[in-house]
Amino acid sequence: MQRATSRSDLFPRLVTMQKAINARHFGVLRVSGSGLPSKRKLQCELENFGTGNGETALSIIDAYGEAMIEHIEKSMLPLMWNGREESHLAEAPDFSLFTVRLKGRVLPFSGVAFPVRLGAIGNGYILFTANYIDLSSDAVVDLHGKSCAVMMDLLALDERKSGPAETLSEREIACLQLAGDGRISEEIADKLGLSVHTVNAYLGSATIKLDSVNRIQAIAKAIRLGYIS
Amino acid sequence: MKAEMLQSGAGVKRQSLVAATPAYKTLGREQLISRLAMMAGANHLPAGMAALADYVGASHYLLARYDLIQEQGLDFVVSSNWPFDLVRRLSSDLANQHARSTELEKCLAVLQPNFALLPDDIDLPPGTSRQYCSLMFNVGRSRLSLLFLFDDGIILSQDRLRDVGLLAGYYSSFTRARDQRAERDFELTERELECLFWIAEGKTSDEIAMILGISRNTINNYITSVMRKTATKTRSEAIAYAVRNNLV
Repeated sequence: MQRATSRSDLFPRLVTMQKAINARHFGVLRVSGSGLPSKRKLQCELENFGTGNGETALSIIDAYGEAMIEHIEKSMLPLMWNGREESHLAEAPDFSLFTVRLKGRVLPFSGVAFPVRLGAIGNGYILFTANYIDLSSDAVVDLHGKSCAVMMDLLALDERKSGPAETLSEREIACLQLAGDGRISEEIADKLGLSVHTVNAYLGSATIKLDSVNRIQAIAKAIRLGYIS
Repeated sequence: MKAEMLQSGAGVKRQSLVAATPAYKTLGREQLISRLAMMAGANHLPAGMAALADYVGASHYLLARYDLIQEQGLDFVVSSNWPFDLVRRLSSDLANQHARSTELEKCLAVLQPNFALLPDDIDLPPGTSRQYCSLMFNVGRSRLSLLFLFDDGIILSQDRLRDVGLLAGYYSSFTRARDQRAERDFELTERELECLFWIAEGKTSDEIAMILGISRNTINNYITSVMRKTATKTRSEAIAYAVRNNLV
């Protein structure tokens, strides 16, 4: 599949997915912030609920955000919930063993949410809502696979936008890598055939370029941005 | 005469190929899923993985877990029916390969079938292709990789491979959820993780002491204990370790 070149490319794809299961709306939620699971939050990035100020998306996050974050930390099984009315059902009869149910009768619609866990970044859910959802196992696997592709495209788009203002030099990357591997400045100097002062200067300039306050934060950012492993 | 022999040779080959491609061709996705559901009920990981290998037409599977790779070694192989020597020979290569790619590359490789060649000096079961296929997926914080060996001349279906990544994820999510042994993040305490998080944000011990309302020495004790538990030598390494393993 071709990678999306802008966020607007994702919209029609999501609408097609939504129509394939006769859902009313879709939403793309992403986990924002790093750190302890308790400090992470879901944020709606794309949706077509059409209500002012993303109210509907917020109501979903209000109702299920916490459960969703907890779920994505341990499982990739799809989530389903029933709506407030008796008839607001979400079902996947052939797939019930591999779905997890959220507490029902909270929202005025039923829904299904596909967790996508890419790694340290870009994680979240793609969800579809309707008055009634009945999914075959084929549809579940198809939509989940497509959801993963959408989340990867979203991440690739973000990365293209935000790189650090200046790129790191080879030497700076080498020093950061060794520091991250537990070497002290003297050892890094030894290994690269530089003086200790030069090594510290490289680490200092890398810290500034990565918009960090010290070398430890620079190392953490460099790993998250993929400069070092 | 010669041409005829060649032809019949080709015929034999084709025949043996047909014979080597068993029921999987006919098994649809829905059938596979109901079969998996049955096996997941019995909490049998190897059987599920073997069924997935069957579905894509592979002869052997290997499920590896990357988040816990310490140095090199076999600890990270979760389940496999590969010949043991092959696993032993390949495991360090796999760990190295994994260490070389960046986090972003890994994130963008999820569920993408990736074909690679086994090193020449590895002995393979007869008739097995030197090419293998790997698929990466995440179950919670664990990054898992499913590797397939297949017979020479068999072409794996791309569509089925993509399905299999997802299904393997479902299957291991399910079997792990039943496995009540909750992951305790390398035995780090909530407080230790909290300290790690703030250090990764560039805070000093003094600042963290202020944020958490405990003394600087306590913070330093937490960090020392983190370094001991993670077998890291410096603060920088401890943070690098935590970021690599998605702890912060």
